[in-house]
Amino acid sequence: MESPLFYFTDPVLRGPTIACMLMCLASSLVGVMVYLRKQSLLGESLSHAAYPGVLGGVLLGVFVFAGLDEGPLLAAFILIGAFLSALLGLWIIEILTRHLSVRNDAALCFVLSMAFGIGITAASRLQFTHTQLYRHVNIYFYGQAATMTDLHVLVYACISLLVVALISLMYKELQLITFDRDFASIIGIRTKTIDTALFILIVLAVVVGIRSVGVVLMSAMLIAPAVSARQWTNRLSVMLILAALFGLSSGFMGNYLSVELGEYFSNKYPNENIALPTGPMIVLVAMGICFVSLFLAPERGLLSRLGRIFLFRYKCIEENFLKALWRINADGDVTWLDLSRRMDTNRILAELVLFQMRIKGYIFRKSFNVYQLTGQGRQRATHVVRLHRLWELYLVDEIGIGAEKVHRNAEEMEHIITPNLEKRLSELLKDPKVDPHQQPIPPSTQKG
Amino acid sequence: MNHITSQNPYFGTDFFTFIAVLAQRAWGFLTGSSMELTSDEIQMLVLVGISISGALVGSFLMLRQMSMLANSLSHTVLLGIVLVYLYMSRFSHGDHDHSSSLNVQGFLLASLGMGVITTFLTEFLTKVGKVQEDASNGLVFTSLFALGIILATIFARNAHVGTEAIMGNVHMLHREDLKLVYVICLINAALFLLFYKEYKITTFDAPLASALGISTTFFNYLLMIQVSAVTVGAFRAVGVLMVLALIIGPPLAARRLTNSLGWMLCFAALIGALASIMGVALSRHFLSVEQVALSTGGLVVCCIGFLYLLVIFFAPRTGLLFKFYQMKNLKRVSEK
Repeated sequence: MESPLFYFTDPVLRGPTIACMLMCLASSLVGVMVYLRKQSLLGESLSHAAYPGVLGGVLLGVFVFAGLDEGPLLAAFILIGAFLSALLGLWIIEILTRHLSVRNDAALCFVLSMAFGIGITAASRLQFTHTQLYRHVNIYFYGQAATMTDLHVLVYACISLLVVALISLMYKELQLITFDRDFASIIGIRTKTIDTALFILIVLAVVVGIRSVGVVLMSAMLIAPAVSARQWTNRLSVMLILAALFGLSSGFMGNYLSVELGEYFSNKYPNENIALPTGPMIVLVAMGICFVSLFLAPERGLLSRLGRIFLFRYKCIEENFLKALWRINADGDVTWLDLSRRMDTNRILAELVLFQMRIKGYIFRKSFNVYQLTGQGRQRATHVVRLHRLWELYLVDEIGIGAEKVHRNAEEMEHIITPNLEKRLSELLKDPKVDPHQQPIPPSTQKG
Repeated sequence: MNHITSQNPYFGTDFFTFIAVLAQRAWGFLTGSSMELTSDEIQMLVLVGISISGALVGSFLMLRQMSMLANSLSHTVLLGIVLVYLYMSRFSHGDHDHSSSLNVQGFLLASLGMGVITTFLTEFLTKVGKVQEDASNGLVFTSLFALGIILATIFARNAHVGTEAIMGNVHMLHREDLKLVYVICLINAALFLLFYKEYKITTFDAPLASALGISTTFFNYLLMIQVSAVTVGAFRAVGVLMVLALIIGPPLAARRLTNSLGWMLCFAALIGALASIMGVALSRHFLSVEQVALSTGGLVVCCIGFLYLLVIFFAPRTGLLFKFYQMKNLKRVSEK
């Protein structure tokens, strides 16, 4: 086990590590824009569409400039080829959806599978004649950062930084276009140009990304950091920064794990040649971050949403109990028997709620199974009853629903109406005293 | 395999001779002179079987705008395949020829499981996790695929399984594969015949379906399971990713030829089968004429693309050529 810092200082490991991180940075920033525009799966198609370009570059290098090995020229060919064929893929998607009335999903799917098939056909051309190159091309399936030389790293880093720079330069325009397209075009932003620029950014991010994440999994690096970042914030700027952080850390961890685990397994099974591809590792780390965010994020996380639902349910039950106690006997003793006739809550939950209410000081227990409301409890109960009856009156007077139909709806609304809403209702109905069923509406407990 | 190649009548043929020999042998087969299937014919039959079932499920997928779910499935079945492979290799010690030890039931079960899991997870993320539908799609298939690759690399200690499963290799096919492919093809055809009305209603008029008490969700799941069955059946021949072209390509082309669902299904199956035969023939052609071995699966995909192009230009009524003439006529009429 090497220390993580070693990955930034060691001359062999430094290059791939930094390249991986920068690639993931670029794709996660672009991914945020793509996610907000709801085009997440475009990246999937484009990364596959880049694959025949990789092959095109290699074939050109082999057959036109014969005898080209893994030199920098070949890398340039591959980059340019991938870029062009991804653009071509984008153009074909555009034609299919615009002029041939193919639905978006089918067009994406068609382009990605076609491109992949063509790429594989081209790759098979190399399989028996140029085994070395064939292996090199296969790297682009799942990504392999470790084999990158410093020159590769430099080129890829430059492109990644270009993507980052362009995004920060166009930040204002992208923000406007994403959230209010009409407004953006009114104030004179050329939406078409920005769109095109964004598409080119996506293509660039995909083209640099496939070297370390791979054609097949590239779309994950566009989606996962953006989804994770979205969980933690509602602001675009914060979302971009978070996505960048998530991207950087999954790039680093992916590369780190692939090297460390690779070493571990080749020590364990020395006879077998195990090379862990970087792509799946990076993707798994990014997914880990994503699922943690999906579950634990404070506002939008699953856990906190479940918690809020639970708290609300509990509040409803508590308020129903208070109401029942108040109805049965607002000032005197209430036995469990009376209570259980009104409430069909199960016994254990009921005991729990009653216990909680005693702690909160809404009720006190006179003797076994006999309870009485305290002043505070009475106040809260009358408040709930007031909301219930106000709402019933509102439904009957203002909306014109029959008095016999309003009870059930009011049973739900009494838990939801906010103090502000209560005030407005009361003003609208001119501070009423009786509800549609001729029951008194308790006066407001609000001060002022 | 050697004795087959030595007496393979397709050996050394170019594209047209291949077709001629094929026709001759098919005639011979029909008139009852029994003979052994050659490797080319096995490849062809497997590919035709895959493309027929692919075209059937693909048509419904396309019409229901669920094509990208097929994309996720084609990725996630890799995990299922790897799991089946690991399970099998654990129970057949020393048997390194894994191809024969993998049986039909195992694969069908894996495809069933992955179909349900993928669909469920995607829906779960969308509905409960409140993630955009596209994004949850992308999250699910990439993570399961990554898991599959890692498992394959570590436990099978063989990244080859992964590469083979996504690229396919027709030369590894033998008669056993015909069984799996045609079982899947028959199941698919039977399901579509049985539930033709239900599929039609849930595809074109979901409100009517729910009014009639036909569950759209159930048929979504059923369709996804069928798609993953097709993918699993295809992975040895064309790989899990290229089968997507067999699923989505023929229906797209068929859609331009007709407006009726029944005809569309027929055309799609026909186009798929045609492309498969052309692909095998082309592969043989390149091998004998240019001495270049090209991936047959890839060639089939290229043929589908080619057929789609043909349809775009030359289809009656919807073809560009037809429209061009129509415009010309219109102009001439309006000038008069």
